[in-house]
Amino acid sequence: MSTRPSAALPTLAAIVLVPLSVALIFWWVPDDADQGFSQRIFYFHVAVALTTYACFAYAAVCAALYLARRDPAWDLRSYVGIHVGTIFGTLVLVTGPIWAKISWGVWWNWSDRQLNVFLILFLFYCAYFMLRFSLEEGERRAAFSSVYVLLGVGLVPLSILAVRIAQTLIHPTVFTSEGTNMPGSFFITFLVALAGMLALAAAMISVELRGKRAALRVRELRRRLAGQDA
Amino acid sequence: MIADALVLARLNLLLELRRREVVLGMLQFVVSTLVIVHFALGGDRGGEPRAAAGMLWVAIVLVAVLALNRTFAADTEESALDAILLAPVDRAAIWLGKVLAILAFLLVTEVFVVPLFWLLFLADAEAAVWPILAAIALADIGLASVGVVVAALAQATRTREVLLPVLFLPLAIPLVIAAVTATLAAVDGDASTLRPLGFLALYGTFFAVLAWGVFDHLVSE
Repeated sequence: MSTRPSAALPTLAAIVLVPLSVALIFWWVPDDADQGFSQRIFYFHVAVALTTYACFAYAAVCAALYLARRDPAWDLRSYVGIHVGTIFGTLVLVTGPIWAKISWGVWWNWSDRQLNVFLILFLFYCAYFMLRFSLEEGERRAAFSSVYVLLGVGLVPLSILAVRIAQTLIHPTVFTSEGTNMPGSFFITFLVALAGMLALAAAMISVELRGKRAALRVRELRRRLAGQDA
Repeated sequence: MIADALVLARLNLLLELRRREVVLGMLQFVVSTLVIVHFALGGDRGGEPRAAAGMLWVAIVLVAVLALNRTFAADTEESALDAILLAPVDRAAIWLGKVLAILAFLLVTEVFVVPLFWLLFLADAEAAVWPILAAIALADIGLASVGVVVAALAQATRTREVLLPVLFLPLAIPLVIAAVTATLAAVDGDASTLRPLGFLALYGTFFAVLAWGVFDHLVSE
């Protein structure tokens, strides 16, 4: 048990970084010249969106490792990654329309690339739970869930490409190939917000993993108590 | 391996075609879908022929869902899959066999429906024919490659008929985006259909390779 990374480190980081980022966002960073006060939601929205992608990427790596090694621990990690990713994804779909309403005047913009790609992926990963919970627990459920997660690895680049082929660019390009396109204080605030969200996600993943492992262990012990250890 | 796949594809098709109501039902379904979508878009005020592109692709995706729902039906109803797994057949051949059967099924349906669709909705438009046919052929390959994997996932569950579209439709969205882009360009007499068609080819290739790699894990029990 002691070899497992503890939940303490990411939890501590999240406890420090998330309030710090809130402080920076509301008291330190200046108003955006173009969008004014409302632009501050950018630090939440984009940080949460990138964290969602990070969670899904983590889940995909774990799914691939499960299929390669057939160790149920990797399937559990993959599941928890998708679960936490979906929670963060829901936040993206809440903060995104708020920002869109204020800066574009509409709740949803069908001609925006990133909104559409995110929506496709979100729908895809929500269906993961439907699949997982209609299968009997065991090796087959783990393998099937992992295969489904791996289909998402193809879906990400293909969605980006498809939406790009069909549509025009509207999203503000903040990061270009020449580096960031924002002033220093904005960038620092954004990095702190991103680090805070990533730490929060890591903490949630490790706490949920502990809970799930404990539940499995309890069930196994109950079975043994009942004398059913075949 | 290819020979095995062909035998399995033939087996799948024979099982379906023997029941005539499946094929006829499929045709009836597509035509009804076209009519429903036509009226849902506001009838003749719906802005055809551009709206026709939407009708065509809604119908094709829904037909693919129906066909995929059938693809493992015989296998699970009579546990034929267990017997096939006992035979010395490559797992990927089972996937390829299913894909070929689905492709044949979609093509049979489309041979009837696309000309009808053309007469009803595009006869007056100066649409380019070949890009639309190419888009349909390429999209069929993509829908079948990814669809068979999803169908294999869904058939193991208790709620397979509901779960299949839930799993399949999000994966089909990028394909539909590109297919509609190609169709609209063709309807507008625009020559720039190459990029969406290229995307459809890429989509099919990508998921075919991925499916080939992972299908082993879906039928190994």
